[in-house]
Amino acid sequence: MARKRLLLAALAGVCVWGQAVPDSPGPAVGARVPGFDLADQTGQSRNLHSLFGPKGLMLVFFRSADW
Amino acid sequence: MELQQNLEKLHKRGLGVAAVSYDSVAVLKDFSGRKGITYPLLSDTDSKAIRAYGLLNESVAKNTAQYGIPYPGTFVLDKSGVVVEKYFEKDFRQRYTASEILTRRYGGVAGAPGQTIETRHLRLTSSASLGTVHWGERLALVADIELKPGMHVYAPEVRGYIPIQFTLTATPAFQAFPAGYPPARMLHLKAIGETVPVYQSSFRVAADITIAPEAQVKPLLSPEGDLTVEGSLRYQACDAKQCYLPQTVPLKWTFHYQALDRQRVPAELQRHPPGQ
Repeated sequence: MARKRLLLAALAGVCVWGQAVPDSPGPAVGARVPGFDLADQTGQSRNLHSLFGPKGLMLVFFRSADW
Repeated sequence: MELQQNLEKLHKRGLGVAAVSYDSVAVLKDFSGRKGITYPLLSDTDSKAIRAYGLLNESVAKNTAQYGIPYPGTFVLDKSGVVVEKYFEKDFRQRYTASEILTRRYGGVAGAPGQTIETRHLRLTSSASLGTVHWGERLALVADIELKPGMHVYAPEVRGYIPIQFTLTATPAFQAFPAGYPPARMLHLKAIGETVPVYQSSFRVAADITIAPEAQVKPLLSPEGDLTVEGSLRYQACDAKQCYLPQTVPLKWTFHYQALDRQRVPAELQRHPPGQ
C-alpha cells in the first residue's frame, strides 16, 4: 500500500515537474545500508552505529546547508 | 529547520536523527549555530558516503561547486541498519518533511490543529502535519472522522452506493497527491442480503500536497501571508434502518507561508568548483 502510494506520488511528480531523477535512488526497503565514518558539525567523528536511537535512525540526505 | 522542530517527537519514538550533506564541517558549524540545530549534521565533503549509498546526483556538471550533491531524501532504518521506509522525491526542489513522515508512519498529527465539524452522522476534525509551509515542502492534510453509534459510510471501492470521497480544490499553490483511505470492513446487511465495504466508528483519510514555487503561491496569499487550502468530504451515511441523504462537508486548512531562507555562510566558507 505504502509502495503503491509512493509509486503514484512518483508518477504524479513526473507529470507535473518533469525532472529526471532516478526512481527512488539508493538502498531499497529491506536492504542493509552501508556504514560510514563522518565528522559532525563539532568535528567529532561519527559512525553509523553511534547515531542509532533505541528503535533505529532517521537518516536524511540533503542538498547542502549553503545554497 | 523543520526537522529540528520535530526532533523531540522523533526521539520519543526511539529514533536517532542525523543528516548528511557534502558541506564542510565549518559550513555545518555555521549553519547549525545560526539555526539552532542540535542533531548531528555529517560532513561528507568528498561525497564518499553519498556515493556508497548510490545517491550521487550525476546530472550535475563535474566542474561546478554543486558537483557531489546527493539526490535528497530520507531513510528510516531499524536497529540493524535495514531500510524500513524511504522517502525520495522526483524533483530535488521538493522534499518530504519530518512531520509528514511522522504523520504517515505513526498516525498522530504533528503540526497544526484544525477545525471540528459535526453533522448528524459524524464528527470530523481536520488537521495538517505543518502549520508553517515553504516552497517544496510536502505535507499531509488529514481528516479524522468519528461516526456516530450505529452509522457506517461506504468505502471507495463500493459498488451501487455513494462512496466516501476526500477532495482538494486544485489551485496553482500546490500539487496534490491521491488521497489515502484505510482498509474497509465488510459489513453484511441482513435486510437486503448484501455485503458491502464500509467504515465504522473512527478512521482517518489523508492526502499529501507539495507547496508550489513562490511565484505561484504569492498571488494566492492573504494580506497576512496565509495560504488557504480548501476541499470537501462527500459521504453517504446509513444505519441499520435507513440511509441518509448524501452530504458534502466543506474542509479548510490555513497555513502561514514563509519565503525560503537564502542566508549563506560567510564567503570564505563557501564551496568552490574543483580547482579554484
